[in-house]
Amino acid sequence: MNKYEVVYIIDPAVEEEARKALIARFNDLIANNGGSVDKVEEWGKRRLAYAIDYKTEGYYVLVNFQAEADLPKELERNLQISDSVIRYQVIRLIERKVGIKPRAVRPAPAAPAVEAPAEAPVEAPAAEEPAAEAPVETPAAE
Amino acid sequence: MSEDRGDKRPRPRGKRPRRKVCDFCVNKIEYIDYKDVNRLRRSINERGKILPRRMTGNCAKHQRQLGEAIKRARAIALLPYTVD
Repeated sequence: MNKYEVVYIIDPAVEEEARKALIARFNDLIANNGGSVDKVEEWGKRRLAYAIDYKTEGYYVLVNFQAEADLPKELERNLQISDSVIRYQVIRLIERKVGIKPRAVRPAPAAPAVEAPAEAPVEAPAAEEPAAEAPVETPAAE
Repeated sequence: MSEDRGDKRPRPRGKRPRRKVCDFCVNKIEYIDYKDVNRLRRSINERGKILPRRMTGNCAKHQRQLGEAIKRARAIALLPYTVD
């Protein structure tokens, strides 16, 4: 089972009832194919950053679900067929990145380790100096 | 520490660029969410282009994630591809 996240945009012209039915249909599709819906979030009507099919608004729906690897393809096929869906995007969530673990699990020293390589390419000549200084400074501070 | 750094590279007088630190490392963000439009907006210019690392000071890891997130946000019309 993998975790996925799908966002789809429904045509704002679709009536509320039809829209609800549509959302329920996609949720059922996930549930009936061995997946499980974790969360359905309706963002409601939002302005699109650019016009899609001359529409400037869209009704956003976000669904988090768990399923086997072949379900997203089937879901995408159904989203594609539906005329009321003007845009969709299915994304696989990498669990490590979602932050399921509490923050405390990752120890604080991890942060400098991440930053260190960042400095190197940007300011390559300068990077060596602070490292050389560090041992000199520590006894002085104490 | 940045004050006593040697002048290895000649710089225009009176201009010492501040060392930039990756904003995402500072805020300890492990996953850059493509749905977080407000945050992503800060990393694109007024034409909708992704800002380069040399301007934002992001680390490589986060810049990669950021690029991915912005592209995802564009695909579902949360961010523009171009502004004009």
